[in-house]
Amino acid sequence: MDNEMTLSFLAISENESLARMAVTSFVAQLDPTIDELSEFKTIVSEAVSNAIIHGYDEDGKGVVTIHAVREGDVISVAVKDQGKGIFDVQKAREPLFTSKAEMERSGMGFTIMESFADDLQVESEPNIGTIVTFSKKFYSVRMPQIS
Amino acid sequence: MNYEINMHTNDIVVIRLFGELDHHEAERIRTDISRTILQGNLQTIIWNLERLNFMDSSGIGLILGRMREMTAVNGHTIILNPSNTMKKIFQFSGLGNFMFEGTEEEAILSARGIVNG
Repeated sequence: MDNEMTLSFLAISENESLARMAVTSFVAQLDPTIDELSEFKTIVSEAVSNAIIHGYDEDGKGVVTIHAVREGDVISVAVKDQGKGIFDVQKAREPLFTSKAEMERSGMGFTIMESFADDLQVESEPNIGTIVTFSKKFYSVRMPQIS
Repeated sequence: MNYEINMHTNDIVVIRLFGELDHHEAERIRTDISRTILQGNLQTIIWNLERLNFMDSSGIGLILGRMREMTAVNGHTIILNPSNTMKKIFQFSGLGNFMFEGTEEEAILSARGIVNG
């Protein structure tokens, strides 16, 4: 393992940008391209929003934890909550499925996460919580070193 | 994040988004945007994303929500200047056909063509 980071914060929607900022700094050492970085930030944003909105109903009390690990040019991330859990994970992962249509949630979160991550797992248990884990390899076109 | 709303005559609105659009920001701005666009005889919304640095699926919810509000008048939606990542998100969500290559002025002309043509 080359580097590791853990960040915990309350289930308040303002913290979605905090989470993106922290992971952006964490992957900076890999010199990601603009597209790699924005795809990576999108995955984190979707997972963290899900934890805050669906896991905790934005109660401002629950804690969301992000654990990120860097091994070479691969970053692995776990986004964890101890909220209400997902009753049917398979259903939740279907495109356009949402339990909060009135909030204009598009139901595209998992589809976007799956498309931008190299692999993505969802473990969830009702009333225990949810862990979304994913990894992404950074190919980052690096400038040749000038000696 | 911030946004600017410019009405062109009474039927076309250009909404420019700045900064980062996530669930938190979408909730904050949607009623305001919604209230503005429900005034007048709106036919077309042009979303200019040139200065938007980040957008997740909340952007899809925001745009789809406004499309729904215009269904009664058979309104049009035009998406301008999405980043590569945003383009992918629009394509996954079935909004790929609403993206338009060109300037704001060209989008307005195109909207006039659709509306009046």
